[in-house]
Amino acid sequence: MVSGISLGSFYTLIALGFALIFGVTRNFNLAHGELLVLAGYVAYWLWNVYALPFVFTFPVAILTLLLVCLGLQRLFARLSEPLELNSIVLSFGVAIVIQNSMLFLFSGNYRLIRIPSLNQGIRFHSFYMSYGQLTLLLLSLIIIFLLYIIMYRTYLGKALRATIQNKEAAALAGINVAVMGKLSFCIGAVLIGLAGPLYGCIHYLYPSTGHEATLLAITITIFAGVGRLSGIILAGWIFGLAESFTVIFFGASWREMVAAVLLLTLLTFKPHGILGEKL
Amino acid sequence: MKLWQIHVKTGLEIFTMENLPKNHRIIFLWFIRYLCIIFCVLFLAFWSNTSSAEIIKIGEINPLSGRLAKNGIEIHQGIEVAVAEANEAGGVNGKQLRLISRDDQSQPDVAISRAEELCSWEKVAALTGGYVDSLVGPIAAVAKKYQIPYVASASLQKELVQHENLYFFRVSRLQGFVEPLCGILAEHFKPQHLAILHAATPGSTELARDLEHCFKIHGLKVQLIEKFRPGMPDFTPLIAKLAAMKIDVIVSGGFTPDHILLVRQLKENKVSPKAYIGPFGIAYESFIRTMGKDANYLYSTCAWHPGITEPGTEATSKAFVQKFHQMFNRQPNTTNMHGYTSARALIAAMRTVLHNGQPLTGDNIRIALTKLDLILPMEHLAFEKNGDPLHYRHMVVQIQKERLVVVYPSDRAAAQPIYPTPSWDQR
Repeated sequence: MVSGISLGSFYTLIALGFALIFGVTRNFNLAHGELLVLAGYVAYWLWNVYALPFVFTFPVAILTLLLVCLGLQRLFARLSEPLELNSIVLSFGVAIVIQNSMLFLFSGNYRLIRIPSLNQGIRFHSFYMSYGQLTLLLLSLIIIFLLYIIMYRTYLGKALRATIQNKEAAALAGINVAVMGKLSFCIGAVLIGLAGPLYGCIHYLYPSTGHEATLLAITITIFAGVGRLSGIILAGWIFGLAESFTVIFFGASWREMVAAVLLLTLLTFKPHGILGEKL
Repeated sequence: MKLWQIHVKTGLEIFTMENLPKNHRIIFLWFIRYLCIIFCVLFLAFWSNTSSAEIIKIGEINPLSGRLAKNGIEIHQGIEVAVAEANEAGGVNGKQLRLISRDDQSQPDVAISRAEELCSWEKVAALTGGYVDSLVGPIAAVAKKYQIPYVASASLQKELVQHENLYFFRVSRLQGFVEPLCGILAEHFKPQHLAILHAATPGSTELARDLEHCFKIHGLKVQLIEKFRPGMPDFTPLIAKLAAMKIDVIVSGGFTPDHILLVRQLKENKVSPKAYIGPFGIAYESFIRTMGKDANYLYSTCAWHPGITEPGTEATSKAFVQKFHQMFNRQPNTTNMHGYTSARALIAAMRTVLHNGQPLTGDNIRIALTKLDLILPMEHLAFEKNGDPLHYRHMVVQIQKERLVVVYPSDRAAAQPIYPTPSWDQR
């Protein structure tokens, strides 16, 4: 149970940036995973070369990702309709460029940010949770909470949600959808910048692991329902728990199969995502 | 007379280009111009091919990008060292070697097209390289089609040597892993509760099957065999299962990233098996650097390592390490050595062919390979009829004080295995 929730929280962190950018701009960013790994490499580099404490790697990773994502946003902004399709082609190319740049800069060795304290944990009778799992859980909850506040308690959030629901109508209502697009990329960059260093710590870093993260982000976003950020955490947990129970009761080889069946079932009966009706 | 004034006879009528609309004339002139350029390029390419008669071309296909890039690049570097060594020593019977490298991007379909290109267009004398069976298999099939010998650098799947492909050879085989692993478990560890985890790849699956069979023969019962996809993001549920079954020894046929995650999560969940054995991907300096002290006490297998070499080849091994360091500014590893060994086999076979005054054809190289008997740092290299290496055998190593130490077989062992492994709390 603990491992399922922790894994689900990990999935949530990976998917959040993708879901937000896709929701607002309709740009299908296939380079999402590569950006995540890039943030991880930035953190690894600072931690390994400059012995910077792990916590302080986050601001630098976020700043780097902000710069990269704003550059990416300028590229996406030049695309014409159909946006989804064109953005797939563009971001696929960007993913290859980032992947090969990382291979050149950081070599093909597997990298891991080793934080010994995350291997400790708390035990209560038969319940055990490592600090790593706890961090993932708390961080995903805090981020979701903060995103909820931004999206549902501020004018900015209202404008972002309006853009997600109907871009043309939002523009007619006086919302600057171009600025909303930039903002979504900025928030997305912050989310990726937060998830990346944790990815290097919980998972491992390798230039081509990004596409796995991208696939995961796409799956979770579809499962949650496009534009439904609150559904992301639920979707992440459902996937995490389903995968964990599958490994325990049926075996590790059934993991992907169960995840695929889960997604297909949902798309058949609830095509707008786990949280229900169309936006 | 201008070009468009040429009279063209179509069979039905005679007309001049002058009568054509202007845009058609422009198109015609562009067409002629590009035709000339293409002709010149083809002529130059043909000329460069024929002028390189004193050069022997060796084709090499490896995953230099994509998910297997790390291993592919390592194989490639080993091959480069072998070629550089041969060229510095005056080449093969006075002819210099030219290595033509291609990247299969870790994808079988790309591997096929690269192999086709090397065999049909580049007309290489032989092929080498290749990492994992899913990429080696397609290259072997193309080599057979063009009757060009292919010495694979890293391949294990038994099926690949069962196709009666006379042109396929490899420097590694699965039995080289199975025998020492089975030996150390049966002779030293004798575990009560044993688990085999394996990646969903042909080599790893076959290893699991062969190990189970061998353990059965030696009276060891395997409690759990579990397959997982390489790159699985979380092993915690599997670890819970292993802990519940009180597993003593874990043999994990995953690769480097799987070991990184699995060992880290074993530590995180305070699960301490008596031995953790990862035949693939652990016996590397880079792995030890990544894992730090957590790498200690892990077992793996290793065919070669600087300092661990076939008896009698110490000087060759040292020369390889020096040359490699000179070229790439780092210590080589066992994957580099696999690339080096496969290229050395090819070069030796070519040397034999030319020494005998025969033309360097695919069949002559193939025959020379079948008769090869070469003592190299990684193995005493001679091929069976099916292309498998006769003497390829790994040693079991354990990481002790962040160094690789041979612990099995006893005639090669430098230290006793530390068994059982201390629990995470006791380290």
